[in-house]
This record gives sequence, C-alpha cells and structure tokens, in this order.
Amino acid sequence: MLSKKGARAFFVIGTGLCFGAFVLLTFDTFNRIPAQTNQAAMDESVIRGKHLWDTSNCMGCHTLLGEGAYYAPELTKVYERRGPAFIEAMLRDPESMYPGKRRMQNYGFDDRQIGDLVAFLQWIGTMDLNGFPAEPDLGAVAVPAAASGSSPLAATGNRPQVFNQMCIACHSLDGQGGVVGPALDGVGGRFDRPYIERWLHDPTEVKADSKMPKLPLSENQITELGAFLSQLRPAAAGTSTETAR
Amino acid sequence: MKYESQRIAWLFFATSMALFSLQIVYGFIMGFAHMGFDVLHDVIPFHVARTTHLNLLVVWLLCGFMGAAYYIVPEEVEREILWPRIAKLQWASLVAVGLVAIIGFHFQWFEGRKFLEIPRELDWLVVVNVVTFIVNIGGTMLKGRRLTTTSCVLFFGLLMSALLYLPGMIDTDHQTHDSYWRWWVVHLWVEGVWELIMGGIMAFLLIKLTGIDREVIEKWLYVIVGVTFLSGILGTGHHYYYIGAPRYWLMIGGAFSALEPLAFLGMAIYAITMARKGGRKHPNRDALGWTIGCSIMSFVGAGFLGFAHTLPSVNMYTHGTLVTAMHGHMAFWGAYAMLVLGVISYALPQLTGRKVHDGALASFAFWCSNIGMVAMTVAFAIAGIAQVYLERRMGMDFLAVQEEIEVHFIGLVLAATVFALGVGAYVVNFVRAGKPVGEVAQGADRSTADAAEARRVLGTEAQA
Repeated sequence: MLSKKGARAFFVIGTGLCFGAFVLLTFDTFNRIPAQTNQAAMDESVIRGKHLWDTSNCMGCHTLLGEGAYYAPELTKVYERRGPAFIEAMLRDPESMYPGKRRMQNYGFDDRQIGDLVAFLQWIGTMDLNGFPAEPDLGAVAVPAAASGSSPLAATGNRPQVFNQMCIACHSLDGQGGVVGPALDGVGGRFDRPYIERWLHDPTEVKADSKMPKLPLSENQITELGAFLSQLRPAAAGTSTETAR
Repeated sequence: MKYESQRIAWLFFATSMALFSLQIVYGFIMGFAHMGFDVLHDVIPFHVARTTHLNLLVVWLLCGFMGAAYYIVPEEVEREILWPRIAKLQWASLVAVGLVAIIGFHFQWFEGRKFLEIPRELDWLVVVNVVTFIVNIGGTMLKGRRLTTTSCVLFFGLLMSALLYLPGMIDTDHQTHDSYWRWWVVHLWVEGVWELIMGGIMAFLLIKLTGIDREVIEKWLYVIVGVTFLSGILGTGHHYYYIGAPRYWLMIGGAFSALEPLAFLGMAIYAITMARKGGRKHPNRDALGWTIGCSIMSFVGAGFLGFAHTLPSVNMYTHGTLVTAMHGHMAFWGAYAMLVLGVISYALPQLTGRKVHDGALASFAFWCSNIGMVAMTVAFAIAGIAQVYLERRMGMDFLAVQEEIEVHFIGLVLAATVFALGVGAYVVNFVRAGKPVGEVAQGADRSTADAAEARRVLGTEAQA
C-alpha cells in the first residue's frame, strides 16, 4: 500500500516535471509568436488600439480571440466581416447603428482613437489562430440554394462587397443576415433605383422617422448598391423566400 | 475554537458574505439585460455589471480563503496568530482596496483584462496586502508547535496564489502575450493552486468532522494534489488553442486537460469515503454537508462540464459562447463557493458560540442554493448549445441568435431566484449567529501574552 512518503514523492516529482515542461514550452511559444501573429505589422497605432481596447473594457461585452464576455459579437474577424467604414461608424455613434436592439455604450472616441481601434482589430484579423473561428459548417444545410428561389444575382459572391459588409449587419437577404431592419428580398420590386439611392444618401431625408442611420457610403458605393438592390425582384410565385427560413 | 486570534477569521467571513450578496445583485442585472431588459444601461452598462460580478467573486473567495487560513492555521500549528493587529489592518486594507476597485469600475476605471480588470495601481496594493498576509501566516507556522501536512498544503496554495498573481502584471503590447500570461494567473489559480487550498481546507474539515486518522487523510491529500498538478499545469494549454500560440497546444492542452476531471473525481471519492468511514458523529452535519457537496459539485461543474468542451474539436465551436458561462458558474460554485461556505459553516458556531447550524434554515440554504445552481447551469447549457448551433455552425447573425435564446434567460433568472433565496438564507443565518464572542475551548491556554494581545486587538478583553 502507498505510504505517505510515497504519496509525497509522487506529488513533488510529478509537479516538478510538469512545471519544467511548461516553462520550456513557454519559451518555445514566445519564440514562435512573432511569426504566427504577424507581429511585424504591429505599429504604434495598433499598440495604442490594444491599450484602448483594455482601458475601455471592451472584453466586458465582446469576445476577442474567443475571450471575454458573451453579450456582444465576437470581434476577431470583424475587420474582414464588416470593413473599416462600418466599424468607424459603430464606434462614432453605437446607439444609432442597431436601433432598438442591444445597446453599446457611447465612449465618445475621437478620430485618432477610432483609427487606432480599427488598426488593432485589423491586425488581430491577420493572426494565425489555428483555424479559429471556424466557418459555419452547417450553413449550406440551413439555406439550401435550390429552395431559396433567389436569382443568381443575389448569390453571396455576386453581391457588392459593401453589401456583404454593411447592409447585411442589419438586413437579411435569402435568409442570411441581421434582423434589425426589414429583409431586402425583392426590394427592387418595391422601390426604384433613384429612390433607393436617395434613401442611401440619408434615410431620414426620405422618411423622417426612419431609424436607419446615415452610413458613411461613397458615391461609388451608393451607385453600386443602387444598381444591385434595384435588380432584386420578388421571387416567382410558389418559390417564396420565406420557405427557405 | 482553541485560540483567541482565530476570531480574526470572522471579519473575513463577514466580508465574504457581504460581497457574495452584492455579486448576486450584479448577476441579476446581467440576467435581465440578456432577457432584453437592459434598463440600467445608462447607469451600469453591461460591461460594468459583468466586471463587478466577476471581481466580487474573486475577492469574496479570496476573503474566504484568508479567513479560513486565519481560522485553521492556529489550530493546526497550535499557537496564536503572530501579529493579530497586522491581520486586522490587512483585513481593513483589503476591504478598502476592494471598495475602491468596485466603485472605480462604475467610473470606468479599468485594466479591462477578463478577471484581472482592476487597474495596475490597485494591483500593487493587492500585492502588498497579500504579502502581509502570507508573512503573518508563514510566521505563525514557523513559530508554531508543530507543522502539519494540512497546514503546509494550505500555506503552499496561498503562497503560490500570491506568486502567480505576478505574471498577470507583466506589461505587454501584444494581445497574445497578454492572453498567455493572463491564463498563468487565472487557470493556474483555479485549476492549480486553488485546488491546494481546497485540498488543505477539505482535509482540515474532514479531520475535524469525521475523526479519521490524520495520516490517512493527509496521504490521500498528496495523491490528489499530485494528480491536480499533473493534469492542471499543462492543461493550461486548453486556453492557448486559438490565441495565436503554436498548434502543438491543441494536442498538449487537449490531452492534459482531459485528465483534469480525475483530480476532482479523486477529491469526491476521497471526501465521501472518509465521511462514510468516519466513526465520530460530529454535531455539525451542516458543515459536513457543504464539504461533501463541494467535492461532488466541483466534480460535476469543474471536472465533467469542463471536460465537455475542453477537446479542441469541440472547443473550436464552443469557445467564447455561453457554454463557457455554463461551465464557469457551476465550477466556481462547486469548487470554491461551497468550500468557503463549508468552512464558514464549520467555524461560525465556534466563533460565535451559537449553534445555528442545526436549524431548518441551514438545510433550506443548502438545498435551495444547490438546486438553484443546477437549474441555472441547465439554463446556460440550453442557451449556450443553441448559440453554438445557430451562430457558430449555421452562420446565423449574432444578434438574431441572441433574440432566439432570450427565452432561456427567463429560465435562468427564475433559477437564479431560487439560488438567491438559498444564499439569502445562509446570510441570514450568518447574521443571526452574531459577533465572534464564542468561548475559547476548555483546556486551551488563554493566559499567554499572545492570547492577551489578540484579545486586546479584537476587543474581547471583557471575557478574559
């Protein structure tokens, strides 16, 4: 039977070996981090952004690298997902961006701080995270392409980039996207192109009580979106997009 | 109770009770926000509530551990606390730093790193505070009449907790370094050295409550803490999967953290076996209930539910979702909250001289809080699993998913109400027991200069 002395030896030797291995692995990890995390791209702005991220307690609601709180979206790939213009607009006036939805505190960041945070998030997005976050692997099952009744025009790859980054944050198309504003399926059948473009310039000019914020869109982007949205026709009878959800 | 200075523990226990109650209030604020009623947003935004909730937890558990040490060490090493006056000062300064930190959060004064949100200036005050505590306890042990394994394991756990706070203070501009060192603190605390504290306290309680021979209990204590470190140290790797660290952590972290439940299982088997074998029927069944309950709930919450999402292929989808909150709540409750409540249940009747442990209210507190916590865990699990499938695997928008799972937070808040009723009953019992004016046991030496000093400091001279 195990003696107390034997038990103590097991504890001391086991702990010593594991801790030694852990320290060695830590050295090795720190040697590899620069290459794996694109450390060369960490400029002054990124570093300022990182400290602003900490002192603003962003992890109190969001996750980054999957770490933080679970009240607001995961931001590791936000630069790629939403693009800089959306992030800037969000940081400038968070409460106008998702009207009537979960609220983010308005920190009153100035232009430089916003630039720093965007630079930080851009850098985070370039890190090699061993595959995190994984692409949704059941998405194809959720929205079968054949059943959605959408035109090839609305296929994700054919959409303007700004649509996939900004519009989709609040609106859905083909059952994919946000739930803040109305779905955009068939929007071209409801409004013509000049109306849509006027709307995109400033929603409240067209409809005073609109909750949609005026977004930082360039003339080119508005033209591009106007062309795209005005061509989204209602699905043919019998293939309602509703059945796809 | 055998020594005058053990009464210092009461100050820490009372602080624990107050902070724990406050922690639950902030939990409700967050629960309602998740349900869609973020009514306090302009006063206490979610991130402030969450940071306060987490940090109150850490501080009240540490307070409980410190109280436990002040209670257990004199009895184990058979002498008064070396400097009772400094112990009292240390308590007051800990409360002061804690209050400044909590109030600071509400004025947006953060370091903003999960679990380590308190600003750097306060970090240094915490270090000074803890060093004072460690020196006082260590000095008491050195001058004591005997050194027991139980007290050494407890002390080693406290000392290592203090040392492991330091990696969290390494300044860095790099998010990966930041995360890497942060887990040295958080993981190596809760899945490493805090388990030493847990082992030490549990061994003390089992020796007192079951009457099993110290040699037997302490032998198995070594085995359990040995398994803890064998799995827990390299198990830190399960936090390094996706933070920009090398890929080998997926294998190392996965393999070693998969062994972590063994340590908790060992602890549960050990506590249950000792309680069944124990010949002595100690009148404090309540304390024994919390002790055994702690060992079982920590296995389920920390061991089993931790294992449920520690493998890299699972964690890829659950990382950063409410599944983590499910595991976190029951793990902290089972392993550490119940442990502190157990040691308070044991010590309180002796400190105050009032036998409140055998009342119906004590049973109500135990069952209500545990049933409430299990129900909360189930609510978090349903919300978390739904989130994993809808958001991570099917690509639904974050906010759309959050609206889908709001309904599960109604369940959560209901369960939390049951939990809060139980904890409330526990706190009422604590308050009813009154101040620490209990008699020092017959036969103990109350005439020493140390005992007189302790009485002077604690204001219990009248009883001398």
